[in-house]
Amino acid sequence: MARSASSQSLDHLYRFARNKGAVLGLIIIVIVFAAAIAAPWLIDRDPLRIVYRPEIWPFTNPKYPLGTDSLGRDILALILFGARTTLMISFAAAFTATILGVIIGAFAAWFGGWLDEVLTRLTELFQTIPNILMIMTVVAVLGQTIGNITFAIGITMWPPIARLTRAEYLALRDREFVLACRSMGMGNIRIMVTEILPNAIPPVIVLGSVIIGSSILFESSISFLGLGDPNVASWGALIGDGRTLIRRSWYICAIPGLAIMFTVLAMNLIGDGLNDALNPRLRDR
Amino acid sequence: MKRLILSRLLQIIPLVIGVIVMNFVLIQMAPGTLLDIMTSEQQITDPAALDRMRELYGYDQSPIIQLLKYIYSVFTLDLGYSYRQNAPVLDIILAQLPSTLLLMLVAIGIAVTFGMIAGVIASVKVNTFWDVVISLAAVFFFAAPTFWLGIMLIIVFSVWLGWLPVGGMTTIGVDYGFFGHIWDVIRHLILPALSLGLFYMAIYTRVMRASMLEVFSLDFVRTARAKGLSTTRVIFAHVYRNALLPVVTLLGLQLATVLGGSVVIEAVFSWPGIGSLMLDSVMSRNYPVVLGVFVLSAVVVAFANLLVDIAYYRLDPRIRNR
Repeated sequence: MARSASSQSLDHLYRFARNKGAVLGLIIIVIVFAAAIAAPWLIDRDPLRIVYRPEIWPFTNPKYPLGTDSLGRDILALILFGARTTLMISFAAAFTATILGVIIGAFAAWFGGWLDEVLTRLTELFQTIPNILMIMTVVAVLGQTIGNITFAIGITMWPPIARLTRAEYLALRDREFVLACRSMGMGNIRIMVTEILPNAIPPVIVLGSVIIGSSILFESSISFLGLGDPNVASWGALIGDGRTLIRRSWYICAIPGLAIMFTVLAMNLIGDGLNDALNPRLRDR
Repeated sequence: MKRLILSRLLQIIPLVIGVIVMNFVLIQMAPGTLLDIMTSEQQITDPAALDRMRELYGYDQSPIIQLLKYIYSVFTLDLGYSYRQNAPVLDIILAQLPSTLLLMLVAIGIAVTFGMIAGVIASVKVNTFWDVVISLAAVFFFAAPTFWLGIMLIIVFSVWLGWLPVGGMTTIGVDYGFFGHIWDVIRHLILPALSLGLFYMAIYTRVMRASMLEVFSLDFVRTARAKGLSTTRVIFAHVYRNALLPVVTLLGLQLATVLGGSVVIEAVFSWPGIGSLMLDSVMSRNYPVVLGVFVLSAVVVAFANLLVDIAYYRLDPRIRNR
C-alpha cells in the first residue's frame, strides 16, 4: 500500500483505457444514456401514441426514420423511450442486488457461526429457483409496474454477489490491518464498512456490471412475454408486439433486438475492462 | 462416495421445504385467494357452494395450517389439484416434462459439444485470426436475447427459405408413421434448440478458452513439453483434461435451470413444455401449478448437484483421495 490512492486510480483508469473493447463498450453505453436522457426533448409526445399508418418501413419516411410498428407508433420514439425503461430497471435492479448481496455476504463472513449457516442456506435456496421463473412469478403476483419488475430482478440476482462478498470478507477477516482495527476498539460495523469494504469491493463491482447486462436481458424477456409495465415503452414489448408481422414487416422485431444486443454487449465489454483494470492478477486470461 | 450421495439426497428435504415456504409467502402476498379467482372465472355466486369450496380447498384454515398441510402432501407425492385443467398438478407437469427435457438436453448438448471445440481452438490459436473470430462470435451470442435470436432464425429459415416449421412440436393433422413422426419432431426441434444452444455455447466457449489458457501456463505443461511430447499430446492428454473442471461446474449450474431456462423460447416457438405451462399458470394465477413447478425444480437442482459431485470425483483424483 505504498502508492497513494489517486495514483492507484489513475493506474486503473489507464489499464481500462488500454482495453479497446472496454472503451467501445463505454462509448455505446454513453450513447444509450444520452438517448435515454434526451428522449423527452427529441420527441415531445407520448411514445405509445399512434402517429401514422402502421408498418411504414424504416428509411422511407423522413418524419419517422425507423418506421412505424404494427399499430402505427413511431419506432424511433419507442426505442429512445425504451432506453429509459431498460436503463432505469437494469441499473436499479443490479444496484439492489449488489447492496443486498454485499450486506448478506459480509454479515455471513464477519459474524460466522449460525448466522453464516442461515445466510448461506438462504443464498442456496434462492439459487435453486430458475431466475426467470422467479422474476415472472414475483411480477405476476405483485403487479406489472416498473418498481415491481426492478424489485423482482433485484431480489433474484443477489446470490452470486453474496457468495463473492462472503469469500472476499472471509479472506480479509483475519488480516493484520483488521486485527489492528479491532485492538483499537473499532466497532464491527465500522470495520466492515470503512476498512474491509474498500478492499473487497473491486471484484464485486466487476460482477455487478455483468449483472446489469443480465438484468437488461431479463427485463426484455419479461416485457416480451407480456409481463412488462403496459404504460411505458420497452424494447422487449416492441419485439413481442411485432412478432405477428414477421412475414411482412420483420424490421419491427429486428430493430429493438439490435438495441438490446448492443447495450448488453457494451455492459459485458465494460465488465471485462473493469476486470482487467481492477484485478490485474487475471489480466492475461 | 456412498456417504456423499446420501448426504446430497438428504439435502433435498430442507431445500424443498425452503422453496415451498418461500413461494407460499409470495403467493400469500397476492391480492385475493385462489378461491376468488376460481369463483369469478366460473361465475359461482351461490354462498353454500362457496362455503363448500372453501372447505374443500382448505381456505377456511389459517395460512400456517395450509402451509403445513401442503408440505405434508408434497412428501406424499401429491402436489395439489389444478382446477383449470381439472387434473392433479403432478400429472399436468409430468405430461409437459418430456418435451422440455428434449429441448433443453439437445440445446445443452449442442452448446457443450461445439462450445468446447470452439474454446479449445481459440485457446490453441490464441491471438490469431481464428481466436478473434471465435471470441467475437461468443461475445455477440452472449449478448443477444434468445427470444430475439429465435425470431430472427424463424424469419430466415422459415419465412424466407421455407426450410423449417415456424413453431409447435409436431405437424398437426398429418400421420407420418413412426419414423416420419421422429423426423417431424426433429425438424420442429432444430430452431428452438439452436436459439438456446447458441447462447449457452457462447458461455462454454468463453469458459473453456479461459480455462485452457490458464492450464497452459502451469508448470506441469512445461514439463510435458520438455519431455518432448508432441503438441497434440500435450493439448489433449494434459491441458484439455485439466481444463474440464470449470466446464463441469457450469454444466451442473445449467442442469439446474433445465426446467426454467426455456420459458421464453417455448413462448416463441409454441413449444408445449414446462415453460409454456408456467407462463400460462402465472398469467392465470393458477398457483398450485406454479408451486408444483418450483418444487420439482428444487428436486432437479439437488440431483444436478449430485451429478456434479460424482463427475468431480471421477475427473479429479485429488478430490477422490481426500
